[in-house]
Amino acid sequence: MSDEEQSGWQLTESDPGVFTELLKTLGVPLIVDDLYSLDSDSLANLQPLHALIFLFKWVASGDSESGPGSSSGTYDPDFQGFFAHQVVNNACATLAVLNALGNIPSLPTGPQLGELVSFSTGMDPQTRGLVITSADWLREAHNTLSPPSAISLEGLNLPRKSEDAYHFVVYLPVMGALYELDGLKPHAVRHSAYSEDGEGWLKVAREVIEARINTYPMGSLEFSLLALRDDPLPTLQSKIQEAQQAGNRELEHELLSTLTNENAKRERWAFENSLRKHNHVGLVHALLMVMAKSGKLSEAEAKAKEAMKTRIEQRKARGEDMDEDD
Amino acid sequence: MPASVTNDTLLAFKAGRAFRRDGSNIVEADPAKGAILLTNGDDGLLHFIWKNRETDVSEEDLIIFPTDATFTKVDQSNGRVYVLKFSSSNQRHFFWMQDASSARDDEFANNVNGVLQDPEHPLQWGTSGSSSSSAPPAQASSSTTTSTTPAAATPGFQATPEQLDYLQTLLRAGGATTGAAEAAIPEASLVDILTPANLTPLFTNHPELVPTLFPYLPPDLPMPPSAEVVQRIIHSPQFRAAVASFDQALRTGLLGNLVRQLGLPEEAGLGIAPFLRAVQAKADRENREAGGMDTD
Repeated sequence: MSDEEQSGWQLTESDPGVFTELLKTLGVPLIVDDLYSLDSDSLANLQPLHALIFLFKWVASGDSESGPGSSSGTYDPDFQGFFAHQVVNNACATLAVLNALGNIPSLPTGPQLGELVSFSTGMDPQTRGLVITSADWLREAHNTLSPPSAISLEGLNLPRKSEDAYHFVVYLPVMGALYELDGLKPHAVRHSAYSEDGEGWLKVAREVIEARINTYPMGSLEFSLLALRDDPLPTLQSKIQEAQQAGNRELEHELLSTLTNENAKRERWAFENSLRKHNHVGLVHALLMVMAKSGKLSEAEAKAKEAMKTRIEQRKARGEDMDEDD
Repeated sequence: MPASVTNDTLLAFKAGRAFRRDGSNIVEADPAKGAILLTNGDDGLLHFIWKNRETDVSEEDLIIFPTDATFTKVDQSNGRVYVLKFSSSNQRHFFWMQDASSARDDEFANNVNGVLQDPEHPLQWGTSGSSSSSAPPAQASSSTTTSTTPAAATPGFQATPEQLDYLQTLLRAGGATTGAAEAAIPEASLVDILTPANLTPLFTNHPELVPTLFPYLPPDLPMPPSAEVVQRIIHSPQFRAAVASFDQALRTGLLGNLVRQLGLPEEAGLGIAPFLRAVQAKADRENREAGGMDTD
């Protein structure tokens, strides 16, 4: 896709901190966390859990874009829920989030998101996708966490590195069945119904996702899983107080530990997000000035030239294409 | 487009071009009769022009920023060959002197170099004692339009193996797709300069310099600025990506405006090496003004 076709949507990192910041901007009291395991204990810890997001990219060369894909489930052209096509590649992360949010019943949202969802009621997926992509406020919220274009690199005709875009697929329950929402597919995909007992929809989701992962040849896929869940922070404080009043020491300590971890995680996210939004050119210059003032710059430059020379020689020896940036 | 010798022409002299033969490292002189002109353009910039004297067409028109280019003799050639080299890019342009006599070759070359360093450079001619900014171009190129070809033109020179080696180092950049400007002296990358390994000892040995960084840190950090925070930042993938991105942008040579905002001269935006030179110059100046500092 050319830059014009990306319509001003910038590529963002697919990081829980980035997603959670977007949710905050949308006025939604949910967070996104990394999911390291699909076992029942891990999932139970994250309840209330609303959707799973599966993100992946091909690493094996020679595979076509489509790949094996999901083997189970059927297209549901009459899906009554919220499903939008991915119209702009760079918007894929935000689009996946919206496909999830639009199907969570009684979700508190900010006014703009609420309007967008109700405005698109009854639209076909393609039109809905276009509506989402043309929402300026949404695009601005999305772009906040990509590097600022104080240096606009697009106009400089720099050689493009191979794109690292992930593909996103959302799994969540809608009206008693597990649905798979993939913005690149023509329709929502309906997997089986589930019973509310025990783990409910998560049991079916686990089976479907594990089956999907197993269809890819070993080592051909880089993927991760994210969980879209209620933000635990607001209620943690009151739960701790309840445990204190009930004299339940064990629970109190467990909850305090959870609170500490959660706060540490939020601080890390806030730190990383502030770096993402920041224009670092001034800092780069200031650091070089520190090196220059302490007389270390020319030595560093000389060493860097040697490192570059070695790198080039190694590449030549391996017969690699010199066009690839380091 | 015809280029005439005008008042804005700083100097001009007869010269032909030489080109690398495709698929080899041999440089061969093109016999076309031409002239090199250095002019002050309407855009206020210095132009290095090669004009074909037979068609009166300017076939090369290069804009040159001060200190970016040099015009040097290719010593290892039989002919009177010179190369125009840029520090900001891999471009190489070869020329050979076409004036009947080689007596003034050095004179022309030295004046070209002087002007390339500084367009205000006062030209120095052997004949006239006092230098003036508009040297007599007419003297150089137009005394006769029919040059004495047999003596002046030695089209084509064959380089010996040693000469080829030297030319090869100059030309390898032209053949390579990216990376080193010259095979022997590749350009440094900011990514290899701003490494934690280089920076961490500096913070330890010069703690007084750390607060100078605070104004450039993100304004919305969830903790107050400190040396630990700076350490975290220089290790972070976001910062390292920003360094790589700036390095890439600087190599385009087009960041003249941006570097001025950093308090550096426009020439600092021509590439990595000019940028680093300008930073060092500014640091030295500030050190002097502050009454000197211990350097390690």
